[in-house]
Amino acid sequence: MEPVFLFSQFFNGLVLGCIYVLLSLGLTVVFGTLGVVNFAHGALYMLGAYAAYTIANHLQLNFLACLILCPLVVAAIGMVLEKLLISKLYKLPHYYNLLLTFGIMFIIQDAIKIIFGPEGEPFNIPDLLQGAVNLGFMFYPKYRLFILVVTALLSGGLWLFIEKTRLGAIIRAGTDNAEMADALGTNISWTFTLIFGLGAGLSGLAGVLAAPIQNVQPAMGMDILVQTFVVVIIGGMGSIGGSILAGLIIGQILTFSIVFWPPGSTTLIYAFMALVLVTRPRGFFGRVSFFE
Amino acid sequence: MQLKARHKIAGIIVGAVFLLAAPYLVPYQALATQMLIFAIFAIGFDILFGYTGLLSFGHAAFFGLGAYGTGLSLIHLTSSVPLALGMGILLAVAVAIPMGFLSTQRHGIYFAMVTLAFAQLIYFIAFQWRSLTGGDDGLQGVPRPSLGPVDLSSDLVYYYFVMAVFILALVLGVRIIRSPFGRALQALRENTDRAMSVGYDPRKYKLISFVISAGFAALAGGLYAMLQNFVPLFSLGLDISGEIVLMTLVGGMGTIYGPVIGAMSIVYVKDFLSSQTDVWPLIMGVLYVVSVMTFRRGVVKELKERFFK
Repeated sequence: MEPVFLFSQFFNGLVLGCIYVLLSLGLTVVFGTLGVVNFAHGALYMLGAYAAYTIANHLQLNFLACLILCPLVVAAIGMVLEKLLISKLYKLPHYYNLLLTFGIMFIIQDAIKIIFGPEGEPFNIPDLLQGAVNLGFMFYPKYRLFILVVTALLSGGLWLFIEKTRLGAIIRAGTDNAEMADALGTNISWTFTLIFGLGAGLSGLAGVLAAPIQNVQPAMGMDILVQTFVVVIIGGMGSIGGSILAGLIIGQILTFSIVFWPPGSTTLIYAFMALVLVTRPRGFFGRVSFFE
Repeated sequence: MQLKARHKIAGIIVGAVFLLAAPYLVPYQALATQMLIFAIFAIGFDILFGYTGLLSFGHAAFFGLGAYGTGLSLIHLTSSVPLALGMGILLAVAVAIPMGFLSTQRHGIYFAMVTLAFAQLIYFIAFQWRSLTGGDDGLQGVPRPSLGPVDLSSDLVYYYFVMAVFILALVLGVRIIRSPFGRALQALRENTDRAMSVGYDPRKYKLISFVISAGFAALAGGLYAMLQNFVPLFSLGLDISGEIVLMTLVGGMGTIYGPVIGAMSIVYVKDFLSSQTDVWPLIMGVLYVVSVMTFRRGVVKELKERFFK
């Protein structure tokens, strides 16, 4: 097998991993702070992709506009959901919010199916990012490199935000109890809403970025949700570093299994998760007695 | 106390009359059978979710494994119904032990995610293993042999057979939760630390509860395969996992009877709505949201609380 071929597969794995990184970052930040396992996370990702499709095809705006507007739209939807429904259940056992978001997932998915039809919609790579770049040892599609750069910048930005800002301090405190966060002297209810919006926005952004490399279709959220769960279980729930590392590993496993052993593309990541659970029950960077 | 006993007797009589008459009350006989099959599934699920406090999002795996195990046994191995059902249960239990072992390492919220991920693994294995399972065409041609002298091929006879199994499962379920083991589960759910301090090993109890509930799910799955003469791939899918949670939640978890009623109602409503409209997932989602927001303790308990107090 040509080394160039392996290299390009490695890069494809990185790009796929980036989508998982963005998704699992949102999931893990929301979980770490609010104690909510958001089953609607995949549906919000799918909403991001459909928002991009609508903005590009019906409003005729360019891709840059999509990249900025769609995450905001999805974040706003997330914040409304948090304010109206999710926030009412914080004081109850954690699984109630899990069940609630599971229901929301079905509503969003079916509503999109009714509005746009069950068939997928194609989404073209924006003109500006078409073509390939010469990396010296190989040519690689511009758009995929763009995903790499955006994810790297965003992960860095998110890390700075969590380390350096007040809101970040609350996320770091990783609290499931509002009293603790209240002690920090912030208006907790709006802070939680903002954090949920941040998580939703990240998944919306992942949806926009993924739209040109796969068809936009109603089931895309459900498919990726479970894989994102695998990423956060492996990385350790609530851990930013864990999400990044595990997301990139899962991207590689998926990409290389498609090349070398296609049946493994749907099963190997779960086997890997089982292996991690056997050796490190809390994942790579999971904290002891965190939300247990 | 006497009043309570009288209520109980009245309840049993109403229940018995309903069970005997059910095939004549619903649009077609197989629907009544399907209602009871999911009620069996719900009994097992309530032992895990309601009584042990563990929310599994992967129980379709056991329902499906029971269905495939029973179906494959009937096609390739045996024409004995109990043996085939037993094979289905055995297959599910064999998978539930390692899966439960790995999932119960993680408490609370992780449990739902880990069980969901393992269920997806099993779904995809069945999807890929076409030669054995039929892949996404499902397992075709599952026979419904006679049970000794009883010919089960008529839908009505099969209903009464499933009803007998359901009654056995209900008695067994109630026995389990009233046994010392069942009490220990509830003690662990209420206060793990205290239960541990008096010497219970929570992981052992959680694992056994997980395996028991998988056994009930597999029994239901096996009966489902014989009902449909077919095992659809979706019997392993996330929709079924989600529906069983909804059934238990709507009925009222931790009551056994509640989830039974929940399961029968949801199967009925789903069948009715599916014939009227194709937006069942949307309605299921709305039901989910409404029941979590308002009927948290189940329809039975909430109605009692609101109107009979």
